[in-house]
Amino acid sequence: MRYSWLTGLAALLMLSPVHAQQSAPVHVGIPVLVPITGFLSLEGTSQRNGAVLAIRNAPPNLRVQYDVVDTSVSPEGAVNALERALDRGSVSAVVASMLGTQMLAMLPIALERKVPLITVSGTAQITEMGNPYVFRFFPGDDVTKVAHVRYAVEELGLRRLALVYQTTAYGQSGRRHIVENLAKHGLSPVFEEALEVQVRDMLPVLSKAMAANPDGILIHLHSGPTALFIRQAAAMGVGIPIIAGSAMHQPPTAALLEPEELRGVCAEANASPVSGGTPEMERFLQQYREMFSVEPDGFALGQYDGTMMVLEAVSKGARTAAEVARALADMRYEGIAMTYKSDGRGNMAHSAVIMCFDGRTRVPKVVKRYDNITGALTP
Amino acid sequence: MLTLQLLVNGIALGAAYALCALGFVLVLNATGAVNFAQGDMVMAGGFVAIALVSLWPVPGLVLLPAVVLITGLLGLVFSAIGYFPLKSRPPVSVFISTIALGVIFQNVAMVTFGPEPRATPPLLVAGNVDVGGLTVSIQAIAVILIAALLVGGQHVLLMRTRLGQSLRATAQDREMAAALGIRVNLMIALTFALSTALAGVAGLLLANTYFVTPTDGTNYILKAYIAATIGGWGRLHGAIAGAMLIAVFEVMFPALPLLIPVLPVAVHGMFSQTSASIVLYLALLAVLFLRPQGLFGEIAQRRA
Repeated sequence: MRYSWLTGLAALLMLSPVHAQQSAPVHVGIPVLVPITGFLSLEGTSQRNGAVLAIRNAPPNLRVQYDVVDTSVSPEGAVNALERALDRGSVSAVVASMLGTQMLAMLPIALERKVPLITVSGTAQITEMGNPYVFRFFPGDDVTKVAHVRYAVEELGLRRLALVYQTTAYGQSGRRHIVENLAKHGLSPVFEEALEVQVRDMLPVLSKAMAANPDGILIHLHSGPTALFIRQAAAMGVGIPIIAGSAMHQPPTAALLEPEELRGVCAEANASPVSGGTPEMERFLQQYREMFSVEPDGFALGQYDGTMMVLEAVSKGARTAAEVARALADMRYEGIAMTYKSDGRGNMAHSAVIMCFDGRTRVPKVVKRYDNITGALTP
Repeated sequence: MLTLQLLVNGIALGAAYALCALGFVLVLNATGAVNFAQGDMVMAGGFVAIALVSLWPVPGLVLLPAVVLITGLLGLVFSAIGYFPLKSRPPVSVFISTIALGVIFQNVAMVTFGPEPRATPPLLVAGNVDVGGLTVSIQAIAVILIAALLVGGQHVLLMRTRLGQSLRATAQDREMAAALGIRVNLMIALTFALSTALAGVAGLLLANTYFVTPTDGTNYILKAYIAATIGGWGRLHGAIAGAMLIAVFEVMFPALPLLIPVLPVAVHGMFSQTSASIVLYLALLAVLFLRPQGLFGEIAQRRA
């Protein structure tokens, strides 16, 4: 990993004088303010990695300056980091925390300073406040939960679904969208319960869920609880499909489980980078592994695509932060995971995939793709 | 059958909580100070085991002595930094220093191992055994046995050995112990080592079933604190009983609608994991109001 960094740095240093002779490089400031510590550190680290890799792959006419700042999990931490970053100098866009409460705290500052926030936060509310400076490159629950429910109901033919979700804002938002989408199919959960993140033993909730005689289980939990739930389900031999939220697509979550425990488990996400599939995805996968020595997830890819879109906007002439925001609002961008376009509220991602594990490996296969769920990509 | 299944899970969880609570009370008695990094020592034990198994892929039982040794040494370092320089200051100084050290441990773990959840190897082998129709995880049985052995060993150490007498004398009255020729500082350092070694083993045991992340310590210290309060501030067997009660309650309470079929369906929603936390903390408040000395009476008189 260190070798890759040094190689990249050396390449940049060697290339810089050449560019100086050809044309003055455009300076771009993109602070990366993400939660690297705290309960969302796994996802925040993916966010950072995706942004840093995109900056490394910036168009050659750009010279990107960036600092990575850990916002941890408090709204004050995020606000202070944002204000410090904006006070330090010219900023074209900010890679902003995926933690919804931090985003909500940062939004008024972004509006006041007219700086676009680029995020993969799943919290629906951040794009429902009429703020033109927020751009979300990860499908929100209004997209992913459509795929989640449609796959269970339309593809697997499930009718009696149990629902287990987290008590956090993430969990509550997911629960609301799942229940709404089930209602569109004329269904309601036969059992539902919310779990705190600290819950260790999943036997009680699984026993209660199974007592309701479901034909499938939808879960919308964070990484650790997802693995605990699936391990307990495998130990109990529940024998019905489990369709998980996006936490299950993260390689570290799958790494906690034996392949056999994952048999028959599916999950929704924006993409499954470890599954490969296209030359662009394979290249991203290779670069990511070389640079960070870990497997990428959909959050890293979403943040990569979002940051690349900002860089492309600057490369094509957007100079100020306000111009970048306008470009992001108008552009259509072909990313690695999907095609991105704003729906007018800053929701850029409108596709989701369903991936399933076959019980032999920890690498899932994409089994179903749901594109343009919101209709925002339709001309 | 479900009742027994839940009970086994609760006892296995409680056994690991008990090791953490036991270490917490040992330091409390020896120094009069609350060690708020005890939960982070549980986390550290998990990561020590993960580091060891990456070098030497063997079952957790084989790693156990090394985890005890390394986390015990960590306890000595901890006391040298977090306790001895501040021992003549007010107890709140030690209390704050343990919080600071806990945060340092968390961040060292974050930088070294990354933020993702990790799992330690099973003590023996993964899988379940069928005991009279009851499916019990081999790890759960091993956790209960190991924890029982350690609690028993710690009892023998404290009650039946000369070293144990010196440790107890130091915990009861440091000045008198010093007057009798006991090397009080050494005893306190050894208490820290014993305490962190117990927490380290708890980390090894817990992280196989429940995984470990760098920020998990907060949850465990809360459990240890509640266990010590419910059991009786400073009571070793009280802490063990408190830890067991907490764990069994956490596991059984949400399942009560299944265990008591006569409960009206209308109240089933009241028995969830979330309401279990609310009821647990209400019970803690009730103990503080109605029986502040805890179930087994109080030894340590000063609370942080």
